[in-house]
Amino acid sequence: MTAYRPAFDRDSRQWWERVGRREFAVQECDGCGAARFPARAFCPACRTEAWHWREVEPEGVVESWIVNHQPFMPGLAEPYVVVMVRLAAVPGCFVYGNWRGDRPPEPGERVRAAYRRIDEELTLVDWEPAEDGGNLDTHPARRTSSR
Amino acid sequence: MSKRLLDFRDRTAIAGVGYTPFTKDSGVSTLTLACRAVLAAVEDAGLSVDDVDGLATHRVGDSAAPTLVGPALGLTDLAWHLDQFGGGSVSHAVVGQAALAVAAGMAETVVCYRAINARSEFRMGGTGRGVPVSPEVQYQAPYGYVAPPQQYAMYARAHMSKYGTKAEHFGQLAVTQRANAAKNPRALMRTPITLDDYLASRWIAEPFRLLDCCLETDGACAVVVTTAERARSLRRTPVLVSAAAWGGGTTHLSDPSADPTVTAAAALAPRLYAQAGLGPGDIDVAELYDCFTYSVVVQLEDYGFCGKGEGGPYVASGATALDGPLPVNTHGGFLSEGYVHGMNHIAEAVSQLRGDAGDRQVVGAEVALSTAQPGYILPATSALILRRP
Repeated sequence: MTAYRPAFDRDSRQWWERVGRREFAVQECDGCGAARFPARAFCPACRTEAWHWREVEPEGVVESWIVNHQPFMPGLAEPYVVVMVRLAAVPGCFVYGNWRGDRPPEPGERVRAAYRRIDEELTLVDWEPAEDGGNLDTHPARRTSSR
Repeated sequence: MSKRLLDFRDRTAIAGVGYTPFTKDSGVSTLTLACRAVLAAVEDAGLSVDDVDGLATHRVGDSAAPTLVGPALGLTDLAWHLDQFGGGSVSHAVVGQAALAVAAGMAETVVCYRAINARSEFRMGGTGRGVPVSPEVQYQAPYGYVAPPQQYAMYARAHMSKYGTKAEHFGQLAVTQRANAAKNPRALMRTPITLDDYLASRWIAEPFRLLDCCLETDGACAVVVTTAERARSLRRTPVLVSAAAWGGGTTHLSDPSADPTVTAAAALAPRLYAQAGLGPGDIDVAELYDCFTYSVVVQLEDYGFCGKGEGGPYVASGATALDGPLPVNTHGGFLSEGYVHGMNHIAEAVSQLRGDAGDRQVVGAEVALSTAQPGYILPATSALILRRP
């Protein structure tokens, strides 16, 4: 279960549907090629509207995390960890999810999405240590094209 | 910056301030709180409510709109009003915009206010009621990530990881501000605390403890903005608006700077100081937005009072105490006086510059900086430099 069911909007619905198929996609601008997330109509770099989905590796590095000691929403059991991940595929983009690790995250640690199916309509994206582990000390956004 | 903006410097003034008591349960409507604070500010300025031709506020969560407050006070033909969307990021922008309206001649006497029953009725961040409406909520709330203490804790942890900022640094800030509140009859929390008390306070969202967090408060605060010329003829020592600046910021999901330890205040500060013709070394007292301890630490860096990453040790050195080189949050701030979303920081700066801050008066205070939430969460921030004539 989840404490909160997201309300998909006209920009985001397709993204959530892809997550439901365990596919992690970002928008890529047809005009300038810039990647963006979350989904929105205009490219903030070249201000044009044409774009397409691009499936990317669901990877990033840990920017920060918190341990929640009270249920900030009804139905949550504390403590629980929320992790802030610098998404590899989109420069300057952070995403959030619950932590799937038997130890706390470490700053700069490489992580990978772990899908959590709630039901037919909804799958969430959590984060877990990447299998190859290790810390990145360079800009992760530049490391993605090699995969 | 436009050269014309220099005409703005010191053209307007804050002529009065007003408060309701700060409590955990006001027992009255938010509209009533707003009216009481507006009337108190008008009275402090030595004006009649019929002199008011402008009202301005901002809103997120609870608020009372100018279009309600005006008619409730018999003001049926306001020449100018502002009901700005936004929380603590825009508190100082409200006063800045009122000063612009007065400087432009759109209105002569504008009361800026903020009224909230933020403890007894409408708590921030969705705790106990529906979550706030924003497209970004859908990417966070399913993971139980929705409330300001969580969001600020996240940024604080990034600062701790990058610069070695410690819990003890945050704790010293809480201790220092409580010592100030002990000298402030308005403050909700006046019992002094120690660093041990801070460290023993319960976790909210690691790395934040209870004493990192501000006080959810019922209350209202208001300030009267008029022309500098007119303010000189009124009851109180006028406090000049030397500079007002607006800035950008980041959302949760998009951070163009790609460094969450730098806030939008770093880009705003040069505009603000240039407008006033002053620098950080000219500031005698600073009332900095302190929704959480970390907010002050990062602003001390981004407004240029210490180097990047040195905010924690700066606080621990005692620099921000009442007898330090830069007294900060002399009223106790949101952490200990009460949380009225920024307007009470402006009102405290006015008290310090008028010299009527009682036991917590900073001797010889002539120039004050007061700031809004530095641009996390909602991509906006704002700030004022005020001075005595």
